[in-house]
Amino acid sequence: MRTRISGTKRLSTLTALFLISILILTSCSSPTPTAPPPAAGQAEHSTDIYEGLNLVVPNRYDPPIEMSSVTSVDATVKFLEGDDIHNNIWTRTYASLLGINLRYDWVVDASMYDQKLGLSVNSGDIPDMFVVDSAQFLTYYEAGLLADLTDAYEAEASDATRDILSQDPIAMKVATIDGKLLGIPLTDASVTSASVLWIRQDWLDRLGIPAPTSMADVLEISRRFTEEDPDGDGVDDTIGLAVTKDLFGAIASLQGFFNGYHAYPGIWFERDGSIVYGSVQPEMRDALLALQKMYADGQIDREFGVKDINQVTETISQGECGMEFGVWWNPYHPLNLSQANDPDAYWQAYAIPSIDETPAKSQYTSAIASFLVVREGYEHPEALIRMVNFWTDNIVRSQDDNVRNLFLGNLDNPDVVLYKYTPVVLWEPTAGIKTGRQLREALAKRDPTGLNREALWRYRIMQAYFEQGTKEAWVEVATNGPNGSVVILEDVLGDRGLMNRFYGMPTPAMAEKMPTLSTMESEMITKIIMGEPIDQFDRFVETWHQMGGAEITEEVNQWAASNP
Amino acid sequence: MLAKREQPLMHPSHLPLILLGTAITLYGLITALVGSWLSNQAMRGLITPGEYRSQLASFEQAAGLIAGILFFALFILCAVHSSGIVRVAFSIGALASLAPLLVSRAETLLFEVIGLPTMSAGSVLAGAVTTLVFALPLTILFILLASGRRIPKVIRWLSLLSILVVLAISIYPIYVTILAFLLKPGDPAVGRMIEISSQIIKLRFLLPGISFLLLSLISARYARTYALAQVDAIETA
Repeated sequence: MRTRISGTKRLSTLTALFLISILILTSCSSPTPTAPPPAAGQAEHSTDIYEGLNLVVPNRYDPPIEMSSVTSVDATVKFLEGDDIHNNIWTRTYASLLGINLRYDWVVDASMYDQKLGLSVNSGDIPDMFVVDSAQFLTYYEAGLLADLTDAYEAEASDATRDILSQDPIAMKVATIDGKLLGIPLTDASVTSASVLWIRQDWLDRLGIPAPTSMADVLEISRRFTEEDPDGDGVDDTIGLAVTKDLFGAIASLQGFFNGYHAYPGIWFERDGSIVYGSVQPEMRDALLALQKMYADGQIDREFGVKDINQVTETISQGECGMEFGVWWNPYHPLNLSQANDPDAYWQAYAIPSIDETPAKSQYTSAIASFLVVREGYEHPEALIRMVNFWTDNIVRSQDDNVRNLFLGNLDNPDVVLYKYTPVVLWEPTAGIKTGRQLREALAKRDPTGLNREALWRYRIMQAYFEQGTKEAWVEVATNGPNGSVVILEDVLGDRGLMNRFYGMPTPAMAEKMPTLSTMESEMITKIIMGEPIDQFDRFVETWHQMGGAEITEEVNQWAASNP
Repeated sequence: MLAKREQPLMHPSHLPLILLGTAITLYGLITALVGSWLSNQAMRGLITPGEYRSQLASFEQAAGLIAGILFFALFILCAVHSSGIVRVAFSIGALASLAPLLVSRAETLLFEVIGLPTMSAGSVLAGAVTTLVFALPLTILFILLASGRRIPKVIRWLSLLSILVVLAISIYPIYVTILAFLLKPGDPAVGRMIEISSQIIKLRFLLPGISFLLLSLISARYARTYALAQVDAIETA
């Protein structure tokens, strides 16, 4: 039997349904800090996105100040809908929270930045704040274009900023000329350029070869990888050592090989009381001879002289190469690709072995390659320090996921890396080492408590490797895990590393003559490896000194005397 | 009064089923313990990842060979000691004996012998195949047991539960791995799922083994009641 529902009852029912609908809708769309930022023109209404965030905000300019700048973007820079380089989370935050209206006068492709900046500065159109490389830094300083930031830094720099800049012992030194702080160095971890030896551990195991303890072992491994079919496919298609035509770099480099012979190409180091250039030292000779023999025996690709990184990467991914001298992060690329054909592929990091009883040192260079500078005459040089403080206090030091999601990006839009919109990006030089240590401790205790979000993810990935048999997770284990490459970096920071002693601006002779000398050097190394007589090295050393090397060495020593 | 058509799983003895349950349980327990011990050593840095992998592979190859042969023999023995749909179920279940053999050999078989592409997820694919080789025959086995009209109700319910358990512990780790490495890398929620999955994967042999043990115990108990009822029925007649 049907019953009539009274008007009041019907109203109550409808009200209840309405309320339930509202509840469901609001629960499905509760606002989060990761929501896309408001579009252009809404900056003044967007401060609610900072509500609830644990932010450290420097003194706000009131009224807001104007700051012009210039920047570059590349193909990897993606924007959220409604955003662009002129209007994004960073420009809006500088305006809303710091009272700094950052305006980019021009934006170019990253490859064009130096050229465009040069043109701009030469035409007298100098931005208030901009990024320069080492050479530009010196040039603009000498032209009197850079503001002295010493007082602003002393007055405004936060503890986090000071701490981060002090972690790299040369960061502040290199940014200071004649006792004046002329720029904020964009810090990163210098030690990450140190060489690490990567070997296909599964090949070592298959052939029953023990871990290398000397360069003699490395040569033997290279020989056996070439001759004994380590991939077991019955085809003679493997080589011992990967080398690119560029000889030096982050992937398939010869830097670590030379270091194993106590030779340090391309850097300056102290010997017998003076600074010498590594590429012209006698230790290079033995290393070159060893490489020449490896090439003659087919252990190095016959066509390495024309193979760039992409082609060597292909060799690695095809499983045709079992050893390379690279850097700590190589498992993320290109070594990860070797699993495409062989799920068992596992590259193990080894510290650079030595040719003799003296432990080898891995050479590295300062990561300080660019600086944030302020135009001489700009009324608010301290504004840069405040922007730096905002970054160091809230991004580098914060573990708040909401803060990181808002300013760095989030998983909903993995291609959108928000920090690429600001030039004020300083990384903590020792962060990777610290994280690696925390991860290893957490793994040993099987307790990830206290790890930040990123480290926790790395922990989980390693857990998948060790407890689920997910071999694809080896990349994380080989870097941040026990016996991983980050452990080697700690040793390099100790007594197993040699940092380039020259970290200043290029000297006059260096700026003029080094490019030619470097080209000569690369040609000499390539030719000798490919079979030219070793006398070529002696001739190169002689020519190097004659063509400006001696002059450069003198200038470097003069610089070193004033930069102990 | 007992339903006339209901019969125990085995006759005259439940020993094969008890042995099968015990063997699978022990294999699951031992592989979980050895795996945990080795991973513990590696996570503490006492052995290198390379040593961890080679030692684990050696163990899995040896234990898998023994377990595979043993499981197969016991499944067949169970089939011999049963009749009707139960016999069919255990005959199909015997295919699951291939799984322990595949644990450390699936990659070689799939990517070197058959020549399938790894798609940069070789161990995930191999793990999935191994899991399916174990889970599918067991799922069919339990479905047949759950649907057998002559099988006592309690055993049918337990079989139904076992289907869910086998499927859950088989599919969940694969699902999590795909999420973690392909669909949602970096997602904290998936991170927690990896933690759970790491524990669940240790149960993939253990829980089905316990299921068989429970089935055998319940069926053996039922067999006694069934035998007494038959004696009563004969005496009454």
